[in-house]
Amino acid sequence: MKRRKVDLKALPGKSAEAVDARLHVATPLRSLLNKVFPDHWSFLLGEIALFSFIVLLLTGTFLALFFEPSMQEVHYNGSYVPLQGVEMSRAYETALNLSFDVRGGLVMRQMHHWAALLFMAAIVVHMIRIFVTGAFRKPRELNWIIGLSMFWLGFTEGFAGYSLPDDALSGTGLRIASAIMLSIPVVGSWVTTSLFGGEFPGEIILSRLYIVHVFLLPLILLGLVTVHLALVFMQKHTQWPGPGRTNSNVVGERMFPRYALKQGGFFMLVFAVIALMGGLFQINPIWLFGPYEAAVVSAGSQPDWYVMFLDGSTRLMPAWEIRAFGYTIPPLFWPTVVLPGILTVLPMAYPWIEARWKKDKGHHNLLQRPRDVPDRTGLAAMALTFYMVLTISGGNDIVADKFHISLNAMTWAGRIGLLVLPPLAYYVARRIALGLQQHDREVLAHGVETGIIKRLPNGQFVEVHQPLAPADDHGHTDLPYVGWTVPKKMNRLGALGPAVRGFFRPIEQAAPPVQQKQVEPPPTREEITSGKH
Amino acid sequence: MKNETTVPAPGAPRQRGRVSRRMSGALRMFAALMFAGGLYLTFAPGVQAQGAAPMSDAAQAGQALYDTSCITCHGNNAQGVDGRGPSLIGVGSAAVEFQVETGRMPAARQEAQAERKQPQFTTDQARQLGAYIQELGGGPQLPAGEDFASKGKVSRGGELFRINCSSCHAFSTGGGALSSGKYAPTLTESTDRQIYAAMLTGPQNMPVFGDTELDPQDKYDIIAYVRALQDDQDPGGWGLGRFGPVTEGLAIFLVGVVALVFAALWIAGKS
Amino acid sequence: MSESNTQVVDLDDPNLTTFDIVREGARRDGIEIVHYEPQYPAGSKGEKRMVRIVSFFFLLTGLASTAFVVAYIWWPWEYEMGANASKLYTPILGLTLGLALIGVGLGILTWGKKLLPHEIAIQDRHDGPSDPVERKITGETLKFIGSELSVARRPALKLSLLGLLPLGAAAAAPLIGGLIKDPHHPDILFKTGFAGATKENPIKLVRDDYTPIRPEEVSTGGQITVFPGIPGGVSNKYADSPTLLIHLREGDAEALRANLYEMNQGSPWQSYVAYSKICTHAGCPASLYEQQTNRLLCPCHQSQFLITDNAKPIFGPATRSLPMLPITVDKDGHFAATGDYKVPVGPAFWEKS
Repeated sequence: MKRRKVDLKALPGKSAEAVDARLHVATPLRSLLNKVFPDHWSFLLGEIALFSFIVLLLTGTFLALFFEPSMQEVHYNGSYVPLQGVEMSRAYETALNLSFDVRGGLVMRQMHHWAALLFMAAIVVHMIRIFVTGAFRKPRELNWIIGLSMFWLGFTEGFAGYSLPDDALSGTGLRIASAIMLSIPVVGSWVTTSLFGGEFPGEIILSRLYIVHVFLLPLILLGLVTVHLALVFMQKHTQWPGPGRTNSNVVGERMFPRYALKQGGFFMLVFAVIALMGGLFQINPIWLFGPYEAAVVSAGSQPDWYVMFLDGSTRLMPAWEIRAFGYTIPPLFWPTVVLPGILTVLPMAYPWIEARWKKDKGHHNLLQRPRDVPDRTGLAAMALTFYMVLTISGGNDIVADKFHISLNAMTWAGRIGLLVLPPLAYYVARRIALGLQQHDREVLAHGVETGIIKRLPNGQFVEVHQPLAPADDHGHTDLPYVGWTVPKKMNRLGALGPAVRGFFRPIEQAAPPVQQKQVEPPPTREEITSGKH
Repeated sequence: MKNETTVPAPGAPRQRGRVSRRMSGALRMFAALMFAGGLYLTFAPGVQAQGAAPMSDAAQAGQALYDTSCITCHGNNAQGVDGRGPSLIGVGSAAVEFQVETGRMPAARQEAQAERKQPQFTTDQARQLGAYIQELGGGPQLPAGEDFASKGKVSRGGELFRINCSSCHAFSTGGGALSSGKYAPTLTESTDRQIYAAMLTGPQNMPVFGDTELDPQDKYDIIAYVRALQDDQDPGGWGLGRFGPVTEGLAIFLVGVVALVFAALWIAGKS
Repeated sequence: MSESNTQVVDLDDPNLTTFDIVREGARRDGIEIVHYEPQYPAGSKGEKRMVRIVSFFFLLTGLASTAFVVAYIWWPWEYEMGANASKLYTPILGLTLGLALIGVGLGILTWGKKLLPHEIAIQDRHDGPSDPVERKITGETLKFIGSELSVARRPALKLSLLGLLPLGAAAAAPLIGGLIKDPHHPDILFKTGFAGATKENPIKLVRDDYTPIRPEEVSTGGQITVFPGIPGGVSNKYADSPTLLIHLREGDAEALRANLYEMNQGSPWQSYVAYSKICTHAGCPASLYEQQTNRLLCPCHQSQFLITDNAKPIFGPATRSLPMLPITVDKDGHFAATGDYKVPVGPAFWEKS
C-alpha cells in the first residue's frame, strides 16, 4: 500500500523527465509558461472572434454529418407539415431534416449561424479597436493585413454557408451574387458560367460552395489564425502607456496560471452566449422561406448583416450604366466589385499611408488613446459612419415598413447621408478628441476640480483646484502628459471616499464625505510621473 | 377596385367561370327587377341599378348606415363623388366587408394608403352595408362561413403563397414596403374572410386574384397556409419578429457583443 | 524590486522556496515579477467566500449539464405544428447548455481573478532589427546559397529553367480547363425557355402547375406568374424564364400602346402584357405589382418599373426596362408566346449591348 502511494506521487515527475529526455522542452516550456501578457478589456475583443471560430468548427462538423449539398430534385416528406409533398432540392431537404428530424439539430444549426454572426461582429469590433489605438503601426503592419484578409475570407465563408441550404432567401442571394460576377467587365460572363457550370443556377454550384465552405476557406482561415496568433506571440502584445510601461517592456501577468485561466473562462462565456442565443433566438428559419424557385421572392430580402453593407451600396447606387461600342459596364459593378476592392486595398495600405502622413517610421509597442490622434480617430468615425449608412440602407425596406417612412425617401436619405455624414463624423470625432485632450492638459496644469467655490477678497468667485503635484506660485504644475488616464475626480486621488460601487444603483452606502479643512497635496500620482522614460 | 366584368366568356375555362357567371346572372336579374318595379324613382342620371327594387332587410339596414356614414364621399346610391370617393357600383359585398371590417373605411383622410384601424362598425353592420352595396350593384361576394382555413391544404397553399403573395407580404406574412410610402400590410390581424376578400377584390394597390386566377380552393389553401404559419409557434426560440437578417444582425450586436464586452470589462478589470 | 537583479541565486540552496525558484526561472526569461500578493490571506473569511462562489458555479454547471442531458433524452422533440411542448425543445437545450457553460466560465474566472494571487510581471521586449553581426552572417549565408546554385554563372541552366514553365501551366490546366465554360456556345445568356417559339408554333404560357391560361382568367388589375409551357419550363432549369402576365385596365393599356418602344410593337395582346419577372439589375424577381400606380417593384434593391411605359426603370439602381414577351392567344384560346424576348433577360453584362 505504502509503496504504491510513493510511486504514484513520483509519477508526474518521472513522466516529465521522460518527456524532456526525448523532446528537450524544459527551457522553451518554461518561457512559454512565464510569457507576460498585458491585461485590458479591449485586448479581449479579438478572442471573441477566435473562440467563435472554434465553436464554428465544432458545430459545423456536426452539421456536415447530416447535410448533403445536392441539387437533385426530391419530394419532401419530413415532419414539417407545410412543406410536405413540395418539390425541392436534396440540399434544402437535408437542411430541413437537420432542423426537424435530427434530435438537437436545430440548436446546432442556430448556434452555427449565431457563431458566424458573432465571428464577423467580433472581427469588426476588434478591427476598430486596433485602428483607433494605432496597434497596426510598425512592426505590426503584417498582422493588420492578415486581419483584414480574414475579414474578407470570413465574409466569403459566411456567404457560402448562407447559400448552402438552397432556400428561397439564400437562392435570391446567390442569384444576386451571380449578377455581381456577371457585371465584371470583359470576363464577367465567362467567370459566371465557369463557376456555375453553365447558366444560373445550374446543378453544380452547391457542391462547389460546399467544398469551399467546409474545406478550402476554413483551412485558409485556420492557417491565417495561426499566423495571426503566432505573430502576436512573437512580437509580444502592445500595451497602454502607464506606470512602468515602456516601449521596450511588457507589464502584465504571466500566461500561467492566471492569464490562461481567464482566457479559458472567457472561451466558456463566448460559447455560453452562442449556446444561449442558439437556443433562445430563432435565426434563419429556412422552413418559412420554402425551396428556391427562380420566380419566388419575398419582401424584405436581406443578406446576413456583414454582407448588408454591400446590399446597401447596391441599393443606393444611381442608375448609371456605361455603354460604348456595343459593350456595357452595368451599375452593379461599382458598388459590389469596385467598392470592396477599394475597401480592401485602402485599409491594407493605411499603416504606410499614416507613417508617411505623420512622418513617423518608428517602432511602436505602446498604444495611443483615440483622443491623442484626432485625425485617425476622425478617420475611424468617418469610415464607421460610411459603413453604418450602407448597412442601414441594406435593410432600408424593413426600416421604411416598420417606421412608416417612404421607401424612396429612405433611398434618397441613404444617398445623401453617404456623402454628408462621414465628413461630419470626421469633424465631430476630431473635435471631441481635441476637446478631451485639452481637458487632460488642463487638469495636468491646474489640478482637479474640487467643487469648492471660493470668494476672493475682491468679490470674485473661483473654483478651488487640487493640483496633482506641488504647484508654483500661480497654482500651475508642470506635469507631462504620458498618454494615459489623468485622474479627474477627487476620489481618484484618494482625497475623497472611493467611488460608490454598483452598476445601476449603489450596492453600499456612500462613505460620508471626508471633512478636510485643507486638502493635502497628494503624493505625485504614479499615472503621471512614473511613465517618464 | 375593379373586377372582371368586361371579358367575354368563350368556352369553359377549367371550371373557374361558374361563380362569375352566377354573378352576372344576379346582376341581370337585378336590372330586370329594377325596370319592372321602380323606373319612376330614377333620380340619379346615367347608370343602372338604383335602390328601388325590394331589398332584403339586411340591405335596408345597410342603406340606413350608408346614408349616415358613407354618403359624403361615395355619394348618393354609391355613385361616387369626384375627388372624394369612387363609385361602389359593382365592387360587391366582398370589398365592402373587407374595407369596413378592417377599419379602412370610413377613411380618416385622403392619403397614399388607407390604414387598418379600429373598425367603426360591428361585423353585423359591415355585412349589412355589404348586402346593400351588393344588391345595389352586384360584384364579387364571399362564400358563407367564417373558417376557411380548415378547408384548405397547407402545403399547396404554401406554394401558391410563395409565388403570388410573399413578394409583397413577405415569407413571414409580416408585410413589406412598396414604392413611395405605400406598403403591403401584415396578415397577422386579418381574419380568414378578410384575406379571402382581399384576394378577391384587390384593395388599393394589391392585384386582383379573382376566382379564375386562384379558384376558391386555391384561396382556401393559401388561407390555410397563412393560418398555419401564424399558429405555428417558432421552434427555434423567439422568432425576433420574423423580420429576417436585419433583426438578427441587431441581436448579435445588442445581445452578443454587448454581453461579451461587459464580460471582458469584468475579466480585465482590477479586482 | 530591483535589489535582486545582481544577486546570483544558488538553486541548491535548501532555504529557497518554490516561489524563489519560479522567480529565478522568470528572471532567466527576462521577466521580473514585481508584485505577487494573494488577495485573501489563506483561510480567511474572504477566501472561503470565494471558494464557496467557485463551487457554486461548478455545481451549477453540473446541474445544468444534467438538465441538458435529461431534456435531450426525454423532452418531446419531434416536430408538431402549433404551440406545444416540442417547441420548447431547442430553447431548453440552449438554455441548459448556456447555463452549464456560464457556470464553468464564471467558476474558472472567479478562481483565476479572486483566488490566485494578484500579480504584476514585467518582461523585456527584444524586437526591432536583429543584431548587426547576426544580420550580416545570415545575409551572407543567403547570398552564399544563391551563388552555390550559380544560375547567374551558367546561362544554359538559366535558359533550361524556362523549360519548367510548362509544368506550372500543366498544374493550372486541369483546374482552369475543367471549370471553364463558354457562355456563348451554346448561347445560354441570350436565350430563355421561350426561345423555340414562333408565330406559327407559339409556346403556351402556363401556371406553376403547367395549366394554360385563357384571357378571361386574368382579372383586370390582376397578374399571374407564368412559365414557358415546355418540359421543365417551371423548374429552375429555366431560371430566366418566369414572366409576369398582367391584365391592365383599359385606360392604362391605351397609355402603354401609345408608349410602346419600336421593338415592343405588337408584343402585348389587347390589354394584356407580359414582362420578364427577372430584374434587369441583379436578377431578383421584380414582382411587387402595384395595380393602381402601375409599378413593379423589385424587393432586393428597390428598382421600380413603370408598367404603362415598357416597364422602364423610374427609381432605384436599375438601368434597363424589363423585357416584354410577345404574346398572343393561340387556336385553343390560351395565351402563348410568339417568340423569345427581344433583348436578353436579366442583369446586364459586358457583351450585352
